[in-house]
Amino acid sequence: MQLKKKQSIRDALAVATCTLLSGVSQTQATEVNDDRWELDTAILFYSEKDRVEVIAPTATAKKAIGEDEFITLRAVYDSLTGASPNGASPTNTAQTFTSPSGESTLTTQAGETPMWEFRDMRLALGVDWERSTSRTVRDTLSADISKERDYFSGALSANRNWDLNDRLTTISAGLGVNYDLISPEGGVPDAGQTVATAKVLGDESKTGTSVLFGITQVINRRTLMQLNYMHAESSGYLNDPYKILSVVDSGTGATLQYLYEKRPDSRSSDVLFWKMVYHLSEDVLHLSYRYFQDDWGIKSHTVDLAYRYELGEKSYLRPRVRYYTQSGADFYNHSFVNGSVPTYASADSRLAEMDSVTLGIKYGRKVGSDSEFSVRLEQMVQSGKDHPSDAIGFQQQLDLYAELEATTIQFSYSTTF
Amino acid sequence: MSQVPINQSTELIQADGYWVGRFQAMASPCEILLETEDSALAKRLLQIAADEAWRIEAKFSRYRKDNIVHQINTSKGKAVSVDEETAGLLDYAQRCCELSEGRFDITSGVLREVWRFDGSDNIPDIPQVKQVLARVGWDKLYWQQPNLQLQDGMEIDLGGIGKEYAVDRTVLLLQEALQEALQQEPDTNFVVNFGGDIYVTGPRKGDEPWVIALDDPRASGVLSSGQIQLRRGGVATSGDARRFLVKDGVRYSHILDPTTGWPVADAPHSVTVIAGNCMEAGMLATFAMLQGKQAKIFLEEQGVPFWTI
Repeated sequence: MQLKKKQSIRDALAVATCTLLSGVSQTQATEVNDDRWELDTAILFYSEKDRVEVIAPTATAKKAIGEDEFITLRAVYDSLTGASPNGASPTNTAQTFTSPSGESTLTTQAGETPMWEFRDMRLALGVDWERSTSRTVRDTLSADISKERDYFSGALSANRNWDLNDRLTTISAGLGVNYDLISPEGGVPDAGQTVATAKVLGDESKTGTSVLFGITQVINRRTLMQLNYMHAESSGYLNDPYKILSVVDSGTGATLQYLYEKRPDSRSSDVLFWKMVYHLSEDVLHLSYRYFQDDWGIKSHTVDLAYRYELGEKSYLRPRVRYYTQSGADFYNHSFVNGSVPTYASADSRLAEMDSVTLGIKYGRKVGSDSEFSVRLEQMVQSGKDHPSDAIGFQQQLDLYAELEATTIQFSYSTTF
Repeated sequence: MSQVPINQSTELIQADGYWVGRFQAMASPCEILLETEDSALAKRLLQIAADEAWRIEAKFSRYRKDNIVHQINTSKGKAVSVDEETAGLLDYAQRCCELSEGRFDITSGVLREVWRFDGSDNIPDIPQVKQVLARVGWDKLYWQQPNLQLQDGMEIDLGGIGKEYAVDRTVLLLQEALQEALQQEPDTNFVVNFGGDIYVTGPRKGDEPWVIALDDPRASGVLSSGQIQLRRGGVATSGDARRFLVKDGVRYSHILDPTTGWPVADAPHSVTVIAGNCMEAGMLATFAMLQGKQAKIFLEEQGVPFWTI
């Protein structure tokens, strides 16, 4: 026997011993994975009060295609209808806007937040290919595309996981790239220009890259911890072509004109994510914290707490509470004073200082030996600075950040066939 | 009922901060060490451990006439359909045979018909050994789950795996039982020690190692060959101290090489190995013995802690 061969004996023995001791359960697991599909389906209803409604059926199917090799297919179809703020500030008179495609006009009453009405659908498809390249290394390659009427997005990512320390530690590293093409009907408007006279350009695109490092550690039999860091860079056309902003008079606060928003053409962001899963005797506690910052001046904190409460053998309840808070982008304001509109300016409420609270509950129930049905209900309230100190004139009487209330209901069914 | 009566009694005593449960199984003193205040729990776990050890002994001992091993060994060339647990052990034995290039072989037991390791100078002659060797070798049997077919006159002996298997199985059962029972003390660790084949699930409270007396094979159950301190892992010993032959100044160990039919020359008296679990430690110790003079080199290459006598 050669030396090299001898060293592998210990590893080979470890595998054989593990196979023997995990015995029956492992044989069963292989049978299940051999030829069957694991299918997760769901339908989601998302409804914002007086705004957007989304219906989104989703399906994910996973299957073993070899020893330690899996393929996952993902599909989401979204149907969106309703209204979303167009960025213009409320005023004390009615405002009339021409829709981005130029087809229709829209009148917003005095004191109301101006909105675009829209209807869109989105189809997203994805595939993951997961493979163990050795006993301790697992690779996942993913490809995703998504298409809306005026938007195309494609993304590729590669992830590698290393198990160390008797599988108590997993280290992961990943790399992702994406390409998005924005092609509104009639073209992309020239950012920063007056809405009435802005040139219309052709399609625009943006590209992004991201890297991820993570570590997952089994602390003890009950506790699992995960820490991830992600850095992302994107560049190109980062505006929302439908968002405009109001330029107001420095004395009265009256709207003088509308400009298309203009954001920087690059964005660099960092995310730190920490998660802990703690197993009680039967129940499970999930706690996570996420920190986000970017070079646009946005910093956000998210705390998410969920508790899975077992209701006997077959069902569980999972209440959840989530708190989110963010500081606004440097170039965000509810409106901009005439004559001092900065190079970059946006009134997109998603870039504003705001916070939100989500309360939710999920009920799951096992059906048969390998199926589960669940229903999830969540309520979210998002609020921002509705009476900012820099409001001018009659703006001081108006609500400059429209509060958002959203309800989510999701029905899910997972099975194996 | 059983041909070999098993002494089915257990005793539980409280030691320095932990419980020691003792019983007799597989011709060895067996014990579990458990760090808990809860005597009822200790009692229950001891019963689980003893039941599992007795179950495995009853099912796989070659000294009994009411089990699967006896059925296989008296099958006279006919195929025997085996249950899933036995199949797992046969797969494991096959793998160990491959990994040791035929030196570890559960069919080698019939060589004892000509080799009697009683300290005498009774060395068989070469034709005798050759005759028996014709009935030895994994390559001479047919194994396709669930069917095992031996040639007439062949036998299997799971004794080289059984005790270590019992230790690791018992650890799994005790961990399951603890998981169910303990909510307030999630990190209770314990030791399973079946006649020197040991598994330690983790350190004592305060990260203290367990101190375990090692049985001296030269006077099993009476003498201790020392203590080991261990926080986690499996320990097993392969030895021949009391079973050997001496002729013309050559000491023949009871470790027989089934590829030749002769004892392995110049093997250590005993080899103790620490590995991830008890079965791994046991197999590495056995493989090392089968290497004879090369035992130490083999273990150094495997990178496991070990000592030899």
